[in-house]
Amino acid sequence: MTAEAVDVERIADRRVLVSARRREIAGTIVRGAFLVFIGAVLYGPLLILVIFSFNDSIIIALPLEGFTTKWYQQVFSDPLVVEALKNSIIIALVVTPVCIVLGTLAAVGISRFRYILRAPVAGLVGAPLVVPWLLIGVGGLLFFSRLHVPLSLNTIGVMQVVSIFPLVTAIVAARLVRFDTSLEEAARDLGATQWEVLRYIVLPLIAPALAASAIFAFSWSFNNFTISYFTAGFQSTFPIWVFSTLNHAKNVPIVNAISTLVAAVQVVILYAAWRLSRHWQARTGDNALTPEMVI
Amino acid sequence: MHEVLDQEPQVRRRSHQRGRIVAYVTSPVVVLLVFFIGPMAVLGYMSFLKFGIAGVGGYTGFENYHDVLTDTTFWQVLWTTFTIATVAMIVMLVFALPLASVLAFKIKRFEIQLLLLLVLADQLNPLIRVYAWRILLGKNGIINSALEFLGLINQPIASLLFSKTAVVIVTSAEYLAIATIPIYAALKAVDPSMLEAANDLGAGMFTRYRKILIPLAAPGIFVALILVYIPLFTEFLTPALVGGTSGFMIGNYIEQQILKTGNWGVGSAMSFLLLIFSVVFVGIMYRLGRIGRLQTATTTST
Repeated sequence: MTAEAVDVERIADRRVLVSARRREIAGTIVRGAFLVFIGAVLYGPLLILVIFSFNDSIIIALPLEGFTTKWYQQVFSDPLVVEALKNSIIIALVVTPVCIVLGTLAAVGISRFRYILRAPVAGLVGAPLVVPWLLIGVGGLLFFSRLHVPLSLNTIGVMQVVSIFPLVTAIVAARLVRFDTSLEEAARDLGATQWEVLRYIVLPLIAPALAASAIFAFSWSFNNFTISYFTAGFQSTFPIWVFSTLNHAKNVPIVNAISTLVAAVQVVILYAAWRLSRHWQARTGDNALTPEMVI
Repeated sequence: MHEVLDQEPQVRRRSHQRGRIVAYVTSPVVVLLVFFIGPMAVLGYMSFLKFGIAGVGGYTGFENYHDVLTDTTFWQVLWTTFTIATVAMIVMLVFALPLASVLAFKIKRFEIQLLLLLVLADQLNPLIRVYAWRILLGKNGIINSALEFLGLINQPIASLLFSKTAVVIVTSAEYLAIATIPIYAALKAVDPSMLEAANDLGAGMFTRYRKILIPLAAPGIFVALILVYIPLFTEFLTPALVGGTSGFMIGNYIEQQILKTGNWGVGSAMSFLLLIFSVVFVGIMYRLGRIGRLQTATTTST
């Protein structure tokens, strides 16, 4: 091979490389722009909401009028807002542990045993995930009025439990099926009682799934609007309060302020949960929590 | 000899197991039978009752269903609902597919962080999210006032808010995360070398999507359809806040019948029809998803 031929080949090679690199750079730019666009769609409106929560004007329009924190002061002097927030938190604090217990029981019962009624039981637990919340809410309203049960925070809580605990079952069962039953059988053969098997074998295995479920169940309960709206009596929850406020007046700056606060707390809780899961991972070498956090 | 000896503990074990199953399953099953099956049964029962200003008027047979199915408003609202839900679903998939594939294959360093941002977007209060869009799209909203401020338009675009388009935009943004995650999970199970091979062989972006990415993502797409289309179809909050009269959906119609008009019979009949539709839809998608999974399994194994 002559020297010229080698040179030509080398140049051609470089050209291919350069064009491949160029294509890669272009791809990275397109992907970056795409991700920024998605980020803007998901978070842009919220950012604007935050900005306007500090804007010194009752009208929510550009240009900005100046900085103020008066909407935040108004939030805590409005008894209706405080009451609604309190109700939402109380409901979530009760609904979450109930859902964890019911959800875990169902998950173990469905994924750890073989029996004739297993498929119907699994179908029953899965059914509320398929039926739209609107119908669970409407059904609950008609059901309670038929039984002459007055609507209250209790009726909201009960219907939330029905729609949320199957989700906990799904998360916990997904974790359970990744472990075979040999540990539990060994413990039983060694004479452990059912409670001991649950306490010392099953619960430590599903602990990450339980932690994730607790966070999600809390926010599902706190965020729930549709079911709560139909099954609420005179007491309102935070989402119901926002809905009725928006339906009466157009844009109320106080809604901006309280929304910003609630969103901020939700961000902090999820971030803390994520950090905690990283910490857990580092300590136990168990990298199972991240997928549970995601699904 | 051994068999005889083994039989006794096995029988004991079986009865033990029965006790354990009962201990685990009873409370969730009872809760669901009373507070889930109960309400659904009452819903079905009430759809055969007559309600008037005077209260319950007794059994009427299929009259409520007849009323619903001959009501032209019902069909109009159903059509609006179908178009909004379907267009929003398509818009969502158009963005969810590339998003899931970028997250699954292209991002290496910040994959988990970006996924968490996606989950976070879904976990924030939906009312806050819908309201934030309302600030953005309103007649005196940010988009309009920004355009006016910049001198690009003289009059605010009125149709941004309180229209079908507004409902499509807001619901697409609302459910994007839930649509993306199952597709991402399906793609994550795929060997990335397959895509690289297609790339090396010179397949264009369109071919790559049609021939490789979409078939591989199919199981995830069916899960996304199950998770998103039914809630979208029965959406009530978003059209109530940004839909106005032209974005009035079936969920709003049911709410109107049940809470405002007090026409519980007709409202229940509509709800029950919607329940049947949801179950049938999910059943079909589940079947298709299983077929899709089988096909991917066979194509990847051959």
